[in-house]
This record gives sequence, C-alpha cells and structure tokens, in this order.
Amino acid sequence: MPKSQFINPKEVRKPSEIRFGTIPVNQYQKTLKEEMKRFGRDDFLRIYRDMVIIREFETMLNLIKTKNEYQGIQYNHPGPAHLSIGQEAAAVGMAYTLSIDDYIFGSHRSHGEILAKGLSAISRLPDERLMDIMKNYFGGAALRVVEKGYKGDVKGLGIRFLLYGTLAEIFARENGFNKGLGGSMHAFFTPFGIYPNNAIVGGSGDISVGAALYKKVNRKPGLVVCNIGDASMGCGPVWEGISFATMDQFYTLWEEGYRGGLPLVFNFMNNCYGMGGQTMGETMGFGILARVGAGVNPDMMHAERVDGYNPLAVIDAFERKRKVIEAGRGPVLLDTLTYRISGHSPSDASSYRSKEEIEAWMAEDSIQWFRTQLTEANIASENELDRMQQETTTLIREILALTVDDTISPRMHAELIGEMMFSNGSVDSFGTGKPEVLLPLEENPRVQQIAKKERFAFDAQGKPVSKAKVFQLRDAIFEAIIDRFYKDSSLIAYGEENRDWGGAFAVYRGLTEALPYHRLFNSPISEGAIVGTAIGYGMCGGRVVAEIMYCDFLGRAGDEVFNQLPKWQSMSGNIIKMPVVIRVSVGSKYGAQHSQDWSSLVAHIPGLKVVFPATPYDAKGLMNAALQGTDPVIFFESQRIYDIGEMFHQGGVPREYYEIPIGEPDIKRPGKDITILSIGATLYKAISAADILKNRYGLEAEIIDARSLVPFNYEPVIESVKKTGKIVLTSDACSRGSYLKDMAQTINELAFDYLDAPPVVVGSRNWITPAHEMEQYFFPQEDWILDAIHEKILPLKGHQPKNNFANDELIRRNRKGV
Amino acid sequence: MAVPVLMPRQGQSVETCIITKWHKAKGDPVRPGDILFSYETDKAAFDEEAKVEGVLLEILFQEGEEVPVLSNVAVIGKPGEDVSAFLQVAGISGEQETKTETHAGSTVTEPTVPSQPIWQTEGKKRISPRARLVAKELGIDPGQLQGSGPGGRVMEQDVRNAAATRKKEKPAGPSAINPIQEPVFSGEDSRTERLSNVRKIIAAAMLTSLRESAQLTHHTSADARKLLELRKRFKQEAEKGSPYNITINDMVCYAVVKALLKHPHVNAHFLGDTIKVFTKVHLGIAVDTERGLMVPSLRNANEYTLQGLSSRLKQISEQCRIGSISPDLLAPEASSFTVTNLGSYGIEMFTPVLNLPQVGILGVNTILYRPGDLGNGIIGFIPVIGLSLTYDHRAIDGAPASAFLQEVRQQIENLSVEK
Repeated sequence: MPKSQFINPKEVRKPSEIRFGTIPVNQYQKTLKEEMKRFGRDDFLRIYRDMVIIREFETMLNLIKTKNEYQGIQYNHPGPAHLSIGQEAAAVGMAYTLSIDDYIFGSHRSHGEILAKGLSAISRLPDERLMDIMKNYFGGAALRVVEKGYKGDVKGLGIRFLLYGTLAEIFARENGFNKGLGGSMHAFFTPFGIYPNNAIVGGSGDISVGAALYKKVNRKPGLVVCNIGDASMGCGPVWEGISFATMDQFYTLWEEGYRGGLPLVFNFMNNCYGMGGQTMGETMGFGILARVGAGVNPDMMHAERVDGYNPLAVIDAFERKRKVIEAGRGPVLLDTLTYRISGHSPSDASSYRSKEEIEAWMAEDSIQWFRTQLTEANIASENELDRMQQETTTLIREILALTVDDTISPRMHAELIGEMMFSNGSVDSFGTGKPEVLLPLEENPRVQQIAKKERFAFDAQGKPVSKAKVFQLRDAIFEAIIDRFYKDSSLIAYGEENRDWGGAFAVYRGLTEALPYHRLFNSPISEGAIVGTAIGYGMCGGRVVAEIMYCDFLGRAGDEVFNQLPKWQSMSGNIIKMPVVIRVSVGSKYGAQHSQDWSSLVAHIPGLKVVFPATPYDAKGLMNAALQGTDPVIFFESQRIYDIGEMFHQGGVPREYYEIPIGEPDIKRPGKDITILSIGATLYKAISAADILKNRYGLEAEIIDARSLVPFNYEPVIESVKKTGKIVLTSDACSRGSYLKDMAQTINELAFDYLDAPPVVVGSRNWITPAHEMEQYFFPQEDWILDAIHEKILPLKGHQPKNNFANDELIRRNRKGV
Repeated sequence: MAVPVLMPRQGQSVETCIITKWHKAKGDPVRPGDILFSYETDKAAFDEEAKVEGVLLEILFQEGEEVPVLSNVAVIGKPGEDVSAFLQVAGISGEQETKTETHAGSTVTEPTVPSQPIWQTEGKKRISPRARLVAKELGIDPGQLQGSGPGGRVMEQDVRNAAATRKKEKPAGPSAINPIQEPVFSGEDSRTERLSNVRKIIAAAMLTSLRESAQLTHHTSADARKLLELRKRFKQEAEKGSPYNITINDMVCYAVVKALLKHPHVNAHFLGDTIKVFTKVHLGIAVDTERGLMVPSLRNANEYTLQGLSSRLKQISEQCRIGSISPDLLAPEASSFTVTNLGSYGIEMFTPVLNLPQVGILGVNTILYRPGDLGNGIIGFIPVIGLSLTYDHRAIDGAPASAFLQEVRQQIENLSVEK
C-alpha cells in the first residue's frame, strides 16, 4: 500500500468497460520450404534427430515397462515412467532456441523436455566447457562410464552422457544426474539449465516464478520456462504463481534497472488430458487454454495457442516471446497444443478416449510429418534418415546395457540418503555484488530507535524495564535480518504487508527505508506462491526470507512446505542448496483460525530445520544461524512475546553478530528436583510454574527451552532427567500429535531407568482455539503444569488442583477424540 | 475553556508511548489539524494533531518521555486560562502492575477435580524405574514401601527416606539392621546347574550312609611335636634332594595303619548279618578333586614303609585328580578303613560320614596349640593335632572305638621312622 499511488474514488467509480484484445490460435502456417532461409540444413536435421532420440528413448522405456525387454536386453523397472510419446515436437521446439542460461522447469512427464533441453545445450556449448561440465559432475562418474571405448567427438560424448545420466536417474542408479534420488519424475541437470521436474501437478507453477525472480533481482541472463500440463491450470499454486508473476509493482514501483516483468514463460504443454480427464470439454471451462491469459493482466499475458505438433511453430513462438520478455513485458502464457499417444502411464487402458482419436493423432504424428517435409524439400534422403534412426536405436541399446548393469551402474548406499537431507553449509553471502541499500545502516530510523533501548529486561536494581524502552524479541529478529541485508546482496524478503506496513507485527519496521523494492516487497495473498517462489529463488542460488503472517496460513502453502521445500536438496543428490528461511508467526487472541501452533506438522516432515525461539537473545542468534546456513529453516515466532525483553542471557542481547547453533536446547534456569522442557512462548508459563514450585513447595525446577525442534540434541535433556528423574513437557501445540509426544517417547527410551514418573505432556486442548477471553482454558497455563506434576508425577503437599490430568480422564478424552 | 490533549491509545496491547518530537512550543497558537507532537509505540510511529483551536498553554511531557496512554500530555485553551487542574500527572515507573484477571459471570459448572489423585492402585505395586535403581543401590526393598507418588507409586524419595529412617532407628551397626526381606524369587540371585554323575553318586552314598547306619563321632587330639619335628626334617631332606617329601598326613596314615593292625574290628565291613574283618589294611583316602570327593583305596597299605606309603598316596591322589584311577579302587568295598584330612583348611573338629560298609573313618584336623606338660612340672603350649573318629555303633561299641582312637594317638606321638 504505497502512499505514492493514489486510489482516486473519482477515477475508479467512473463507468467504463473492459475490452479484451485477440489471442492468436495456431497462427503459424509456414511450410518448411518457406523457412529455408531461417533454418539451415543442419538445423532441420538436428530438430529431426532430437525428436527421434526422444521418441526412441521413450519407446525403450515403454517396452521395458510393458514387456521387460528392449532389443534383447531384459530389465524390470518397477518405478514410474510417465511417457510423452507424441509430444516430441513440442519439447524440441520449446528447447531449440534456449541457451544454457535459460532454465526449464517441468512436470512428471518431462523426459522429453529434459532430453530436448540437454541436446540443445550440448549443441550450443563449446566442447571445452561441455567436457568441464561432464568431468566435474560428481567427480566425472557418469562420464567415465560413457567415454570408455568411445571414439567419436565431444558432442557425441555429450549425448551419451545425457542419455546415460537421465536413464540412470530413472532407474535409481548412483550415476544418475541426481544419484538416483530424484527418479523419473524429478530428474534434472542444472549445468544444462534443466531445473527440477515436479511430480506434483503444477508444482513448478510457483517454483519457476521464484527462479525468474532470482534472474531479475540478481540481474542474471536468460529466461525461465515453466513446462506444466494443461490440467495444472486447475491447481491453486499455478494460479498463485501466475498472480505473483504478474504483479503491477514490477512495472510500476520497482526501481529503474529492475522495472519490468519477470523473464518467464508459462508453457502449458497442452496434451488435452489430465491423466484421463479432458481439460477441453470436461474438467475445465477455458475451451482453449490460452484464453486464461486474457483475465490476468492488461497484456493478457501475451497469451497464444501454438501448434505443438509442428516444431517450427513452437520455435517461432519462443523466438517471438523472448522479445516480449526482453522488452520487460513478461511473463508470457503459451498454450502449446500437443497430444500424448502413449498412455498416462503404462497401466493406462485408454478407457477415456476412443481408438479413432488416437489413430487420428497418430496419422498426424509430428516425426513422420517432419520426415516427409525433409525428404520432399530434398533436405535429406530416406536412407540418411533411416540411418539416423538406426544409429539412435543402437545408441539407446548401448546406454540401456550400461545402465542396467549393476556393476557399472550400482545403486547408492542407502545410509547416504541421511547425509543428503541437509547441506549444513555456512555461507556469508550468496550474492556477488555489493548489497543494494537505500541508506547507511546507522541512519536507519529503526536502528536509531533500537540503539536507545535497554538490551536486558531488568535494570541494575532488578526492576523490569518498561515495554517501550526494552529491546524486544521483534527487535532481535529485525537486527539479524537487516544485518544480513547489508552482507548478502542476494538476500530478499517478502510476504504480506512486509513493505510500508513493516510486517503485521512490526518486525520489519525500518526495512522499507533501508531497501529498494526488489529486495523487500509485498506479495499477493498467496501463501503457496510465497513459499513456492522462495523455493525457486533459493534453488537458483539466492537467499530469501519469506513470511507467513499467521501459522494458520501454512495450510495454504501445504504442498510447498511439505513436498517441495524439504525435498529438493536431497532429491537433487545435494546439487541444489536451499537457503530459505520461512518466518511463521504463531498467533493468539484471534480465535480458531489465527491461533494455532503447527510446529509439530513441519517437524514431522524430513528435510526441514525447525526452530522456535522464545527470547530475544535466542531469536537473534537463531535467525543469524538460519541466515548463515544453506538449509530450509521454518522459523516460528510467537505473537504473544514479540514485545518481551531478554530475561535470561546475562548482559542482555549482544549488539554484535553471534549465532546460536540450530538444534541445541538451552537451560534457562537450573534446578535439581524436576525438569520442565518447553517449546516457544510457553517458556514463560513454565517459569511462573517454577516460581510457584519453589516458593510454595520448595522444589527447584530445571527449565529447558528446546529452542529447536529439528535437529535436536537430547543429551542436555537426558542429563537433566538423570538428575531430576521427572519431566514435564509443554508448548502451545494441541497435545494430540504434538512434537512433545515424540520428545517424551524419546526421553522414555533414553532415560527409562532414571525416570521417577512418566514424562508428562502439557499441551493445548484438542479443540478449536476459543476467543481470547477463554484462551486460558485452551493454552497451557502455569497451574496446568503444577496440576500435571501433582497428579501424574509428584503429589504436592496441600496443592488443590483445578485441572484433571488423571488417567481415566485422559482415556475419556481420547475416546471422545478431544 | 481549556481542554487536555490525551495520549491516544494505539491498540489494545499498548500501555505507554514515547514522545519523539514536539512540533509546537508552549504558548504557540494551534488550529485543528496542526501536528502537535510525534510519538511512537513499540511497533509504529504516529503524529497527533490538534483537535481544537487555541493556544498551547502547557506541555506536561517532554521529548523522549514515556507517557501512559490516555494521560494528559498538554493543555490547549485561551491565553491566560488556569491549567492547574490538568497538572496532576501520574508518574510512571518501569514496573507494570500485573493485572489480576477475574472471570466474573462464569456460571459454567467447573469440572470437578479431585483434590487427591484418583488413579488408585489396582493390585500391583507400582514402583518407578528410578526408585528401583536407587533401591538396589541402597539395599532397600521398594516393594515394602508406602509410595508417595500418584496412585501410591513408589518414588525415589520414598526409597531414600526409607534408607535414612533405617539409619536413624538403628545406629548400632550391621547387627542391628532390620532384616531385609529380599524378594523370594528375584531371579537374579542364583543359577540352576544339572548334577554331575560324580555328584549324584556322592549324594546317594552320603544320604544312604546317614540313613542306614548308626554312626557317631569321638574327638581327641594327639601331641604333634614328633610329627612337626619329623616334618621339619623331611622338608629339609627334600630340599637337599631327597625324593621323598613326607607330609603330616602321610605320617598320620602310617600311624593309623599300625593302629588298625592292632584293632582289627575297626578295620572291617559291617554287612548286616556278618562283619568282614580284614587282616590287611586297605586304606581309603579322601581326595578332593574338581569333579568332587573321591576315596581311592591304597590296597595292602600295611606292607609299605613310611616312604613307600607316602609315594603311593601321592600317586593315587594324582590319579584321582587327572581321572586315571581305576574305578574298582573307588568302590567303598575296596577299602577297609578311610582317613579324611581337613587340617589344611584349619578345621578343628568335624564329623566325617562313614563310607559304608566300612565301620570307621578318621577325620584329621588342624594343629592347635594347647597347654600341656613339657616335663619337669613345666606347663607350656604344645602343638596337638585333632582326631575325629566316626564309627558305626552297629559294629563297634564306644569303648573299643575309643581304644582304637587312643592307639592312633599313641602311634602318632611315638612315631618312629625306619631309615
């Protein structure tokens, strides 16, 4: 909501109408002969060859899946193979004009796109650079296999390398492009500009937007092509990605040098079907997919339907659209019409389409058609083209033999997968240039305001410093983030109300003054795209802090948080880094859909680091660690304690930079009689409970703040339990399925013989969060902790419990599911 | 009439604000919409505009001061108006009063909560793992304790209290410790072994002996000065290269053989209706081996010199230990009398069990010092060796048994050795 833009009621209330322009449909009608000036003989032959290689590669896969045999080689591949036989012209046309600076993203059905882009890259790369890439990829392991006994040229070697790396990946071999951890639906090879394919329909719809954002913000050459299917137009993340990619601010608010649209083509590989559902006529209403562009922005996304059965039409479209992007008017929507002759998967009985339909498309098969064009134009003889087909068959057979040989192409040692889950790097800056900022750090009004604050919660007499004068948790997060903004030129931050407003909870107050638009901006209300674009930005090599305003909105980014963000490092075989911090603010006061602590949900997903600091000292140190690292970190904050001062760390929060290692719990108060382990803001309830235990019952509680959920070092907790024999675990998460239950079980396992009572979890009730006035009945309170101790662990003399923690009550609640 | 300017409340959670700048000075005329002052909360900065026309008569808080919300910050009025009524300013300290939340109007019935834990013990005693661990260290039976934990669970503190009470109550030392009732079947105090055949044979023989004979034991002792003197000599000779290293036991056996020849009814087998009296001495000698007790027979022991007897005894003992002894020699019938020596274990007196059908067995004990007549009326300590004779009263009466024992004693005391 920039003040520079005025929403004039006089203007916006005027009567008028919206007029749409026209959207071209299959307008390219040139013949091959007509294009002979534009393309040389070599071009035509390469287009044909690339299509033949893709067709033969997938024919081989189809035979392996359906008959367990290709050209006399037996093999069983139990995994997926979503083939695109029939779509080769669309893939080759898409990739033909792309340089290796241009990135493609794909879908579950992207073998053809990978090969087309790889073949395009091989033909464009100078031999020396191509050799370097092959030699340096995983120490040249795949190269050694394909160069043995090979006597041809470097380009030929490159093709062998591409086919072998792809097939080894599909067959889960260690020599695969991603060590076999990606597989058919996720294979990719970044040195050729091939970015992840995605097994979730539309998964690339927002990730690719982040990649385009990376190119724009970091002034990197090239554009991004998001190859997704027609049916993904029904997916929320695709719409969110489109919304994000077409924000007005790119054209209006972003500073000179950064102004203009994202370098991105949403290329819908429209094969008319989403598995078995017909998008044209059954499951969607767009009729012609390109129509969708009309509603998105005044440029109508330069939308166009292109005949994907003619490679020249697709090449022509990409050449024209590149110009649009270079003029700063991206992104572009292409509806590349094609047809999948093969089934959705080898088990597809084609019960949803008629034989006549398939035959009609086979009669128009692009490879056959193009071949006829080539011979009719006397570009190549039948013999020449036959030889090309034979050579391809021989090559594919040879590559298959190498891939299925367990000695040559073994599988990875399974335990190494554990080593791939995190990259655990420490990188000061992912950027190369000087960070762009608007004013020196010391002139920042927020920095000046913070400088006047007391950095410890109590004064010399032990009296608490007032809220307005104390250095708060929100200041601590701000301090860590602004520090990194002045160190790492690649760092960007965005989310809802991040600019101008300064974040809904004033964490970013002062950032707007410090940063240009391209480093700090407001996103649409699209949590899926907020996280999805951050993933794309991170995997391309930029650091990013994205914000989810309320934890409850995490569900809106479900696929991105659960399926994408945690997985790409390991699915890439550790080729990709993911320096992405997602700030998630846990609410209160606002009822059932704004007050939930969902830290347990993300802690369950392998591949995410999860932290939840509860003090300013920890918040700054953990944010610094998260921003120094190379792994995705879900950074939980509690709205209840944004204004809290540092009460534990002697000397207060240091002004200088420091890191707190992710995964280390902290003893906030030592004690000998009982351990209380807390996550998040419940720390302060635990402290109150500990005070009562001491004053009223003479018991010294040891308070441990988990600080991190994943990873987590249990040793200090076990040491404490060995000492006290008793432990209560508490957090604001609903107790059923709470991460505390996992911790309690682990403590049981590690310290059983030392326990004087079972570990007891004091979490929130398994209800909706009620109104603020009733929250004390929902969130753990200090008396809950005392009652749980009294009833389950150690009866406190004279204690009158108010809450029922008895076992029969526990059974009753569970039986009722509440 | 003068009006106060209040510090606005910006949000529910804001309690104080800091004035960052005054845009008007005291005495300045102000019009509605003029910015009076700027202020900030912990989250945001704001400007406060004048709402009335007049003169800024008084400023109550200066720049940088922290002001509770809804406090008077300034007064606007006509020039010269009295502002004293607005000057009572609440001071602020850093301490915020903790609000006591009351939940008036809560008419919902509170869930009834037991004042005592209600999960009661059902039969099985509940003991925490930690209490078990500590109980083991302190030697307390946690099963006997009244648990203080929920539902009567025995906790570490119960075990420690019990240990402390135990010390307090009985400070006299180990004898005064309460008997500790070990769990009867703890499962950790023993192991089960199958009996070896040797053990089975011994068990049957011993039980039969005690059940089927009328055995009893007489004890006496013999002056051992001669034995010790000879032993000293033999030892020296052995050190000088003599092949014989005659032991005290060898000498006792030699004396027993001689005594048996004089008391043939002790050198006999009781066979129910008959008694088999031996004219030769087949001396059984108890040997402790790894496999158990063995009693090989030295046949015709009466035919040996002391040296010969010593050699043969060593030989058959060794054969028993390595297992090469002839089973025939182990049969109780192979011996006419048995000697068993526990002297080396310091045993002062015992009741050997008869090796049926033999009618006697002599137990040889350790050497003790006892007051005795050294001659010339001088009483001093002399070494004596204990002798315990078990005999079968079915075969022999007390007097002849005692006479035999006396003979053994005299033989020991007057041992002479042929060179």
